Amino acid sequence: MRLTGTSGELHQVFAAELLDRIAWFVRLRWAAGAALLAFAAAAPRVGMPLEWGRVWLVAVVVLAYNAILHALLATWRRSDQADYRWLARCTLIQILIDLAALVLLVHLTGGAASPFLPFFTFHMVIGTIMLSARTMSAVAGAVWLACAALFLGGAGPLGHLPIPLEMRAAVLGALACALGFTVYLTDTVASRLKERGVRLFRLAEELRAKTAELEKLLAEMHAIEARKSHFMLLSAHQLRSPLATVKTSLDVLLQGYVDPASPRAAGLILGASERVEGLLRIVGDLLELAKLREAAQRAPWTSGVNLAQLAVDVADALTPVAEARQITLESSYDADVVLARGVPPDLEYAIENLVHNALKYSRPGGAVHVQVRRSGEFGVLEVRDQGIGIPPEFLADLFVEFARAPNARRHTAEGTGLGLAIVKEVAEAHGGRVEAESRLDEGSTFRLLLPLHGGRTQDPRVTKSERRVTAFSE
Amino acid sequence: MAKKSVLLVDDDAVFVDAVSAVLETRYEVRTAANGREALAAIAAAPPDIVVLDVMMDHLSEGFDVARALRSSEASRAIPIVMLTGVDEVFNIRMEIGESWFPYDRYLQKPVAPETLLATLGELLG
Repeated sequence: MRLTGTSGELHQVFAAELLDRIAWFVRLRWAAGAALLAFAAAAPRVGMPLEWGRVWLVAVVVLAYNAILHALLATWRRSDQADYRWLARCTLIQILIDLAALVLLVHLTGGAASPFLPFFTFHMVIGTIMLSARTMSAVAGAVWLACAALFLGGAGPLGHLPIPLEMRAAVLGALACALGFTVYLTDTVASRLKERGVRLFRLAEELRAKTAELEKLLAEMHAIEARKSHFMLLSAHQLRSPLATVKTSLDVLLQGYVDPASPRAAGLILGASERVEGLLRIVGDLLELAKLREAAQRAPWTSGVNLAQLAVDVADALTPVAEARQITLESSYDADVVLARGVPPDLEYAIENLVHNALKYSRPGGAVHVQVRRSGEFGVLEVRDQGIGIPPEFLADLFVEFARAPNARRHTAEGTGLGLAIVKEVAEAHGGRVEAESRLDEGSTFRLLLPLHGGRTQDPRVTKSERRVTAFSE
Repeated sequence: MAKKSVLLVDDDAVFVDAVSAVLETRYEVRTAANGREALAAIAAAPPDIVVLDVMMDHLSEGFDVARALRSSEASRAIPIVMLTGVDEVFNIRMEIGESWFPYDRYLQKPVAPETLLATLGELLG
């Protein structure tokens, strides 16, 4: 089997394997050389033809070039430039030299009657495993031709036994069959194994890629979890502080530290009431977030949701807030930005959150621009302000629960730290995402990108990993 | 004898007002809404004791103030009471690598008025 269309890495794996096999081949050859020497020494003494003693010549040749190969192998291993094609060529040359030695051996030990004839099949097996059936068929042909020339050419003087021509022809025929079948059978088994090896390698490669991907995801999740628990701790403060204020105010009033009829008492009661309101907002947002995460929207999915209309409604509703804060609320809408599917109350909640944030973090005299436009397959709602901006180091945590930038905290006590987490959840439930850009002290831009045709078709938790929230700073 | 003075530092105006009402029964109370104001007030006139919230604009702003006080010769001796919504363990976690906790008492909000008065009374002698 040839390694066509395989990856470079696969080639490398096969090259490494081939190198191992060459090493094994070299070890085997030491044994063969030693055995030949022993044979050369013993043959004449046990009644075999005296001429067979000349086999030592072949043994010395074999051992000599094996020593060279042994040295070369060490260099190849070190050089690490194990190119498959090149190694295959080296293997072929080795096999050719071996076979030439074997032909010489057969020639020296009786030709058609040589006891070494079966060793040809041995080389065919090794060659077919290491190289290819095609190459080895050609090699087998060459070997057979060499044998035929030797057996039939009447090169008698070199110890060939006097065998009749028909017998020699029969041996040649059997040799042809043996060589051919050996290559064929070995190839059948070896190519199946090789195919399996390639498949296994590919699987392993895939597995490696998947594992790496999973590890990356896991690391991401760990990081998110760590940030979440950090903000959960912050939330303890967010919840406990107003509660503590309420409790202390009530204690102070109940224990008579303040005259109940005094304006100060009224102030404490009002303050406590405000804190309770804030707590209710936090609890409300927490419930909202939990509901979204449980995929239990407040309203069912609706088809044909007009994003521009939702934005107009939100902008109208928030105009009094903008006026009260002396902020200009501008808007521009593409008329035909319609989502195939959506949950209008959730989208409205998200849009309101973004516009309200923009108003909240703007300075009096500033402007907030709301734009709805079509961008390819997405409906885009953009809210741009000229407000206090977001510190760059905080952008990554912007959409994490209870995260509030210090400058936001300073700017206004109002805010649960949950709004943007909800916006993100709504965007993802609609198969979209939310982006933020900001320059500190110059303003922020939030962009809600919702696919026009890609409303949710499956459980959001399944596809969550495919969606990314991108937060980047300019 | 003149009343001893307390500087109460917290970013929650309602809380400050409520606690002030308690402290005013025995002390002269001044207030600050963040670390910067607190340090300025102390520099202007050192109080006899400081009551500090931890999380204000920054997560450990109260600790920053406490450390600044303990680092300066003029304010080193002023007792510090941390009065805050987060528990001590959380604060220690945030201050990992910091073995120095520059306060005398740690009280968690909400604190009963009499406990607060007792703590201050103990520290001021």
